[in-house]
Amino acid sequence: MADKLEVTDATNRAQKLFDLTGRVAVITGGAGLLGTKHAEIIAAAGGAPVLLDLPQAKPEVSARAIATRYGVDATGLAADITQLAQLEAIRDQLLARFGHIDILINNAANNPKVESGGSASGKVWSRLENFPLEIWNDDLRVGLTGSFLCSRVFGSEMAKRGKGVILNIASDLAVIAPDQRLYRQPGVAEDDQPVKPVTYSVVKTGLIGLTRYLATYWATSGVRVNAISPGGVFNHQPEAFLAELHQRIPLARMAGADEYQGAILFLCSDASSYMTGANLVVDGGRTCW
Amino acid sequence: MLVGANRSSFDRSSLFSVEGKIALLTGASGFLGRTFAETLLANGADLIAVGRQAKLSNQHQVWTEKYGPGRVHCYYVDMFDLDALAKTLDEVVQHHAVDVLINNAHELAPSSGFNTPAGSLEQGTMDVWMRNLTAGVCWPALTVQKIGAGMKERGRGSIINISTMYAVVAPRPALYEGTAFLNPPAYSASKAAMIAFTRYVASFWGRYGIRANAILPGPFSNTEDAGPNSVQAGDPFIEKLKANTSLGRIGRAGELAGALLFLASEASSYVTGQNIVVDGGWTGV
Repeated sequence: MADKLEVTDATNRAQKLFDLTGRVAVITGGAGLLGTKHAEIIAAAGGAPVLLDLPQAKPEVSARAIATRYGVDATGLAADITQLAQLEAIRDQLLARFGHIDILINNAANNPKVESGGSASGKVWSRLENFPLEIWNDDLRVGLTGSFLCSRVFGSEMAKRGKGVILNIASDLAVIAPDQRLYRQPGVAEDDQPVKPVTYSVVKTGLIGLTRYLATYWATSGVRVNAISPGGVFNHQPEAFLAELHQRIPLARMAGADEYQGAILFLCSDASSYMTGANLVVDGGRTCW
Repeated sequence: MLVGANRSSFDRSSLFSVEGKIALLTGASGFLGRTFAETLLANGADLIAVGRQAKLSNQHQVWTEKYGPGRVHCYYVDMFDLDALAKTLDEVVQHHAVDVLINNAHELAPSSGFNTPAGSLEQGTMDVWMRNLTAGVCWPALTVQKIGAGMKERGRGSIINISTMYAVVAPRPALYEGTAFLNPPAYSASKAAMIAFTRYVASFWGRYGIRANAILPGPFSNTEDAGPNSVQAGDPFIEKLKANTSLGRIGRAGELAGALLFLASEASSYVTGQNIVVDGGWTGV
């Protein structure tokens, strides 16, 4: 009995369970509000985050700040994740430098603020009746095609080595529909009320399908694939919006920007070694009632 | 609630820390319960174990020797005696401000329909049904009532109910054909009720800062004990279980430690009403 207890003890200390020392983690949308938070917790656990983002987001600046703060190797690379050749070049560059890629976080997605602003046609672009095909195509290209391509390029490399983790950042809107009443503007005609774009629900729900598909596809190759479905992050939204939203959440508040870091580290580390194909919902309870 | 300014210095160990927390665990002497207990103690939480003396007293001694005096408090009770359980919990709350409640106990034995025709869909007795519903529903209902009252007053608390993947998918008959194993329908039903109860608690007590979640383990066969629900490591049944997972293996008890620490600590401060499925991909296919 004593031997067994020793074994259990040795494996269950948080410091070791959640350790990422030396692991290389590619994070798409890495310079964004949540992307930098994901990178920070990877760095805090000893990993080497690689932030991919568009050139104008300056991922190298975010990476430098993280490297300084956490004393780890952090890299920022300008990339368009919808371009296969760019991703392959980054893979080769990372392999030449580190010799391995251990973690992929598919975090990038278009998520414009819902506002009442009209398009050039004078109609509210976000409404389904007006929704521009170009925006539909671009949202799917970034959110779904980008995640597919990154999984193909970086995930295949992990499968070849027999070890790795892919984490897809979905949304509570992969589980429930947006409540469009939240976005209503006073004094605006019904047909001109702004709404949460249809693409957001489609992209995030699609990521759950990608998660389950990849989880079984690469299960025997040692690559675990899971999703998290975060709720909304507090970012100084208008009081009226907050009051309405809080009524829809059992914890009666939005999340802090750093409040997803626990779930990120849990699913990226060996602490979740027997989890694959799962969707971890981090939404203050919004979808449980 | 966590405020960004206070979090600037956290590292992974403080994010998942249960240091100094008081955790009440039922079924602490069982196969998975021992791992939960060890995980909590090894990470600095004090443990209140509730269960039968015959099962717990030896563990109490082992853990006290290992982690020092005062870390483990055992309350001995036969939980099927609900009046006695209520009194025991009343006594617990007089002495301890519980931060984390883990409803882990269940009876996995022929008396509750495991591995006996008396538990089957066709022949399951009402006694078997009641024992499962008592363990899966009444025990959590009572502990949540008694322990939750203090959590409400203090404005914080994490409730973790240990359910099973069989609360969301059914066992497959092919697993049991030609074996003496049987996983009774009353178990699935009681554990599905448990996750409904978990959501109810999350919904009604979220406003008091109390979170309630469930862990749904997949195949974590007990290959350690020689009890009525154990399986020998080389048993063909294990091979069948492996074949039903994506990862191609059964879980090791320690692989539930991460989910437990996640839910017990501030790392999951925005998680409530959820099922954490730890099943090697069983339910994904």
